Amino acid sequence: MIEFRDVGKRFADGTVGLEELSLTAREGEITVLVGPSGCGKTTSLRTVNRMVEPTSGSVHLDGRDVADVDPPELRRGIGYVIQQAGLFPHRRVIDNVATVPVLQGLSRQEAKKRAAEVLERVGLSALAQRWPAQLSGGQQQRVGVARALAGDAPVLLMDEPFSAVDPVVRVELQDELLRLQAELGKTILFVTHDIDEAIRLGDRVAVLRVGGRLAQFAPPDELLAAPVDEFVSGFVGRDRGYRRLGFVSATALRLVDLPTRADANGDSPDSPDRAVPGEWTVLLDGTERPSAWLGPDGARHDLGSLYVTDGADAASDAAGTLRGALDAALSSPAGRGVAVDGGGRYRGGVEPDDVLALLDRGTTR
Amino acid sequence: MRAFGYDIDQLVIAHVLLAIIPVILGMIIALPLGWWAHRSRGARRVLVPLSGALYTIPSLALIVFIPVVLGTPILSPVNVGLTLTIYTVALLVRSVAEALDAVPASVSLAALAVGYRPAGLLLGVQLPLAVPVLTAGLRVASVSSFSLVTVGALVGIESLGTLMTDGFQQDYTAMVVTGIVGSIALAFIFDALWLGLGRALTPWSRARAGV
Repeated sequence: MIEFRDVGKRFADGTVGLEELSLTAREGEITVLVGPSGCGKTTSLRTVNRMVEPTSGSVHLDGRDVADVDPPELRRGIGYVIQQAGLFPHRRVIDNVATVPVLQGLSRQEAKKRAAEVLERVGLSALAQRWPAQLSGGQQQRVGVARALAGDAPVLLMDEPFSAVDPVVRVELQDELLRLQAELGKTILFVTHDIDEAIRLGDRVAVLRVGGRLAQFAPPDELLAAPVDEFVSGFVGRDRGYRRLGFVSATALRLVDLPTRADANGDSPDSPDRAVPGEWTVLLDGTERPSAWLGPDGARHDLGSLYVTDGADAASDAAGTLRGALDAALSSPAGRGVAVDGGGRYRGGVEPDDVLALLDRGTTR
Repeated sequence: MRAFGYDIDQLVIAHVLLAIIPVILGMIIALPLGWWAHRSRGARRVLVPLSGALYTIPSLALIVFIPVVLGTPILSPVNVGLTLTIYTVALLVRSVAEALDAVPASVSLAALAVGYRPAGLLLGVQLPLAVPVLTAGLRVASVSSFSLVTVGALVGIESLGTLMTDGFQQDYTAMVVTGIVGSIALAFIFDALWLGLGRALTPWSRARAGV
């Protein structure tokens, strides 16, 4: 748990970096600090590991005032990931990751073993002997995350870790972080200027305004549903109503039956042939996964985005999000979306009218 | 090997020792000074111009002036050695400061953030990363030292320069040329040595994507 108690930072030239910030980053959650440049988000992050000393107030880590801890000692117990990864160019990937365990007092050999385990966990074992200059931006960033995990610290500070990579890789890295977080349950303080990233990753999101004042601190769906003022609603941006549907469960959504048939390209001869002439038909491969739409013209069409229900298989009844359902219905060439379970197996179809009816019934409020 | 009435081997050894020891001593002195100039803007404002000014003092003047100040015998090789040490420091203070400046701030920041103490940061991260720029500075200082050693011959300190001064007096061109070629060759050999050492210390600097 990280607690900011009235933390203020006035720089020597008189500018205010941070004004009486009070908030708590809960144990095992991702807390995101987001705001425009100059809002003090990085400054506040750095007060936690004493890279910046506040001029007023205090920061407490698991109840302990960080001002009472020797800074290098404190930092060895906190994972830190920065923009551009900050890898040591003169050390191979494995030695970069082993840095923290070595500083914590492990022998070189033990530290390397620990580093190898962490690299394995993040799927980077193949890169262990590379130099940082031989990695892509995304790979460097993942090594940066591995290095932060190597110390086995319960707390991670992440300062715009994914902002220097291209959008596709950024989404991959975000997914990977969410996957790791589901396994590891760290207390993460994450700084970004990207509101979409904040909403995607944060259990709770703190929106800061210029001058280091906290504008709103809330779970992402609340931020989208009820921004406290014009600054927050402006910052949260357009389409917030639509984006908020990503946090609303489509519990009452009824799936419809769609015509299906085995995909000729697949290898499932005994799948029942239920194609309806002149209608859009879903093609299923040998493992019941949809592969394409078969149009009335007899040609294959892209599936569009799929509505993924939360359950791992057809037996579990958990619903996906309304945003997923609406997107599937709107992006399908057939005018009806395709629903799959968590394992990617076909479950049914989504009628846009059904989704709109759910919206109309006020399920979202 | 003897030639022109001199033991050439001995001249070569004297030349090398007289050139190299000051380079190493100068580097040892320049490291903390350069680090200080890197750390403090005030120190840099004084140290960098001051060391630059040292280099403008004529070498012969220093070699003659040092015995007056230190009381060393006029024919002592210490006078030449000290002169060359001063020149090395003059060249390397700025070099060291710039080599440390060249370490990416994000890397130093990351090192501090994972819990390095200042000494560990300097020795474990900043100095290794400064090696390419340091090597470049060292090579200039070394070449300069190998050529300036010959000036000592004017006041009777033996080196390959002795072949130049004596050959000139005897109007013996082959002797002068031997001195010149020999001192240039030594400068090149040690230049290659520093270059090789620098490369051996920085395998990472040649690593590129896909290697």
